Amino acid sequence: MVKLEYLKKEYEKTRQMPGKWPLSSYRYKFNITHFQPFLKALKEKRLIGLKCRSCNTVSFPPKLVCGKCLVQPDQWVALRDTGMVATFTANYMKDETTGELQSFPVIAIQQDGADTTFLTQLNPAVKFEDVYVGMPVKVKWKNQPEGNLGDIEYYDVIDDATKKMKLQNE
Amino acid sequence: MSKQQAAIVSAGFCEHASKRSDVNMAEMANEAIQDCLNNANIEMDAVDAIVMGNMPAFEGANLPELWMTDWVGARDKPLIRVTTGGTTGGSVAIAGYYHVAAGLPGIETVLAVAFEQQSCGNTSVGLSSVALGEISIVNALGLPAESAMRIFGAGAAIGIASYQAINYMKRSGCTEEDLARVVVQNRRNAAKNWWTHLKMPDYTIEQVMATPYVSYPLRFGMVTPASDGACAVLFTREEIAKDTVDIPAYVNGVSSVANETGIVGYAAAGAGQLDPCEQLGAVESAKLAYSQAGISFPEKEIDYAEVYSPFPNQELMWLERLGLFKENTAHLRYRDGTTAPNGELPVNCSGGVNSTNAIGASGLERVAEAALQIMGKAENQVPKTVHTSIGHGWGGCINFVTLTVLSDQPRRK
Repeated sequence: MVKLEYLKKEYEKTRQMPGKWPLSSYRYKFNITHFQPFLKALKEKRLIGLKCRSCNTVSFPPKLVCGKCLVQPDQWVALRDTGMVATFTANYMKDETTGELQSFPVIAIQQDGADTTFLTQLNPAVKFEDVYVGMPVKVKWKNQPEGNLGDIEYYDVIDDATKKMKLQNE
Repeated sequence: MSKQQAAIVSAGFCEHASKRSDVNMAEMANEAIQDCLNNANIEMDAVDAIVMGNMPAFEGANLPELWMTDWVGARDKPLIRVTTGGTTGGSVAIAGYYHVAAGLPGIETVLAVAFEQQSCGNTSVGLSSVALGEISIVNALGLPAESAMRIFGAGAAIGIASYQAINYMKRSGCTEEDLARVVVQNRRNAAKNWWTHLKMPDYTIEQVMATPYVSYPLRFGMVTPASDGACAVLFTREEIAKDTVDIPAYVNGVSSVANETGIVGYAAAGAGQLDPCEQLGAVESAKLAYSQAGISFPEKEIDYAEVYSPFPNQELMWLERLGLFKENTAHLRYRDGTTAPNGELPVNCSGGVNSTNAIGASGLERVAEAALQIMGKAENQVPKTVHTSIGHGWGGCINFVTLTVLSDQPRRK
């Protein structure tokens, strides 16, 4: 690790008491009812979004309450299995056997037909240097879906047709 | 319109460092309060009420106000603790302002204190306590715990900044050198203040670019430190302010705007703002605060800005969203020196959050520095006369924005 020099001042050390604060003993409550049709569709390898009747915003994954209008969205719409990278970053993890630092991309996608972002994983074979905002992606389903979020194994990269387009001023 | 015109008459800091092992939380807050009172030649008796704040869970001591009352001088006085994540400091300043502006009998001078001693506890435990509820929901929906942690743990607070950096660089065309330039300016400014943490008077862009990535495109040399520190600001009524100091910093506009939970959304439901550097909350808060202060042309009327930018790309983003520079041009203004201390619009002459980040105190330090520049008492005082300045705060789950507009003239009635 690189050490950066800065004007540092050392302070006198006083007595310290070690203590522990375990964070594993909480129970988080969550209303899962509005997720059921979504999970059922996942089992059939379909994607659906929840549409707000008031502002026509389609949320994927479904939202319990539309933040704009404060109403409960209740209209299910079918979505295509393609999407677009809205934003991304790289995550780093140490390989436990070799101790090497590995990087892989984490992406937020906008599913075609939906208006919200969905934080998910990209094909681990893709390097994060090759990812860009606006990159088209497609769902890679698990072989035997069980009706949960894990059914979307990851998103795979597909051909970007916009790269072949010629702009008029070129 | 408020009942009373409030003004800032003094601000104080304690020394910031990565480990203030010589003092505890209470003693550290007390250092800042003593400095604040000494600067204005005021005794604790003259203070009528106290507002304090820090992040919850970061030091492993919940509700510190319960046992710190004597240290912050709150015995037999009203005391309120405010905590709103990263904007805690900004919210403490706004709460202090509300106290005075309400014009309640017997509440004339209010002390706002914000502090954080990150070396006491574990900041990542504090942050994960925020995200754990979300992760457990996604886990319950069937995503394996390992992938859930991997997705949500993509850098924690830094991860969100790197999403913003990627989108900002895409839309504005700024380069990594531009980000490094922002950092170098901040760290060099920090070296001119006595209380800051990362004082680097000889920092260069090459040095920044030689460090490895922490989270692409942010490098180790670009990221904010974890500091211990405290800040105190004294709010009072217009008449008292005039008697206390030559030039009080009048508070002419405050706003605290909440927006949609960023990127992740609540219960894995995502966010409607596809671009994380759109930050509509900042745009709204600017509109609100500027209209209160009677500012129609922020780019011309504001002389000094303190923005909350732990990471360099955010500094560029906020300056645009707060209406100080045109969209996608902020990095060009750093190239031509507009934002340097002797430039046309000096930014973060205290070194900003990029050099010193005692999280709970950071928001209040922005307001304090913005006020000190107007009063002419800042350590790294800008050569030009500052008439109007802003102190900005950002935090929550990338969705809270606070803004305070200060001026050397009271608000036009």
